[in-house]
Amino acid sequence: METTWIRTNKLFFKINPSLKFVMISSLFLVYLFVHNLNTMIWASLFFLILYSSVTGLSGKWSFGFVLFTLVVSLFSASAMILFGKGSHVLYHQYLIMITQESLARGILLGLRTFTFSLVGMLFATTTLPVPFFYSLMQQLKVPVRFAYGCLAAFRMIPMMAEELTHIRQAMIVRGMTKQKGIKAYYARLNHYLLTMLAQSIRRAQRTAIAMEAKRFSMKESRTFYYQIGWSRNDLVFVLIIVCTVAMSFLCANSFPLTPFTNVLDH
Amino acid sequence: MNERKKSLKLNLTDILVTIVIALVFGLVFRLMGPVYDLVQPLGLHLDALLYGIWFIAAPFAALLIQKPGVAFLAETAAALAEMLFAGSGGVINLYYGVAQGLLSEGIFAAWRYKRFSLGVASLSAFAAMVASIAIDAVYSYLPLLAGWNLTLYLVFRVLGAILLSGLLPFVLVKSLEKTGVTQSLRPVTKEDYDVLK
Repeated sequence: METTWIRTNKLFFKINPSLKFVMISSLFLVYLFVHNLNTMIWASLFFLILYSSVTGLSGKWSFGFVLFTLVVSLFSASAMILFGKGSHVLYHQYLIMITQESLARGILLGLRTFTFSLVGMLFATTTLPVPFFYSLMQQLKVPVRFAYGCLAAFRMIPMMAEELTHIRQAMIVRGMTKQKGIKAYYARLNHYLLTMLAQSIRRAQRTAIAMEAKRFSMKESRTFYYQIGWSRNDLVFVLIIVCTVAMSFLCANSFPLTPFTNVLDH
Repeated sequence: MNERKKSLKLNLTDILVTIVIALVFGLVFRLMGPVYDLVQPLGLHLDALLYGIWFIAAPFAALLIQKPGVAFLAETAAALAEMLFAGSGGVINLYYGVAQGLLSEGIFAAWRYKRFSLGVASLSAFAAMVASIAIDAVYSYLPLLAGWNLTLYLVFRVLGAILLSGLLPFVLVKSLEKTGVTQSLRPVTKEDYDVLK
């Protein structure tokens, strides 16, 4: 894949990918049980600052990404805002009933989704697939067959993209794209899906046979082309994440912006 | 009997095929993400109908390869791929993927990997849905939604799961069988030996 729109010289690229993966995933468990709206407001603010200062994406892309994520995160909370349970009614018409409690809960939900998306993007935009899977094998002891399988699969993406273009061109040549109706649509979908899947399966099978022919994964200990180790950057990374999380809890205590400290009460 | 057991172990071909399929579905999830996000704002849970597509990797892989472990591997790898492609939701996907994969796998295991019918596939999709609801109950405060709204949500989610991850993978695998590509993937059965007699 072409990655020229990513700047790979930033600090977060130099961190051990396994450590980054474990830390980022454990954040889910930290914020899953936060029911304090203030904590979530501060957390999303701090992670937004963190994301914008460490992301590998260029500014314009990054801004668009964040804006889109914020909007859809609030969309995802719309059901809770419009139809949630609560007693202090703010607005009521037909089925729509917005209460103070449901509004607070909805905003917390939206911000939580926003924070997790940001953290996910933080990981995705600063991690390259090859070092990531090498690190999984070396630090987290993921079986070599699975990790190399993932690497081989990633290599197939450009081929799949090319194949997709071929199918589309073939359909245009045969005039299939101009046919209308549900039946034609179904036929087109079938052509795309089945061709892509069948070809992917065949390609994966050929690759596996080729790998085994070269004595891949025959159980002895093996060496790695890339050695992924540890550095001082890893410590800095852990400190940054711990500080960000701690700040979100501390600020919520010292500077509560809203009176909703537990959105489950109603 | 020993022969049969041995053939149920995953070899490199199974793993690679599963992962490649998971990657394809990971891409599909990534592309469906924005669509899913954009049908959410009405609060009427139209998104829950689409939600079913996120369970497809496990039943599809299991129906295709018919060996233990592939359902879990496929769903987890697809979730990981979605996370690496910066899908919306980010780290949440991984937890959902692992939970869905586990329950999905459980259904195929309950039939000892001997039945791969439409019913079992739908049940597996349903199990994955149960996993997603269980996490959602904690994550999105489901019990605190108005009653009718919650019911709508559950009904849509079940419908979506059975249609998109029970029926769809079944139809897809049936059509793939016609192309002949599945023959070399599946474990050798007794019927195959009988043909040789």
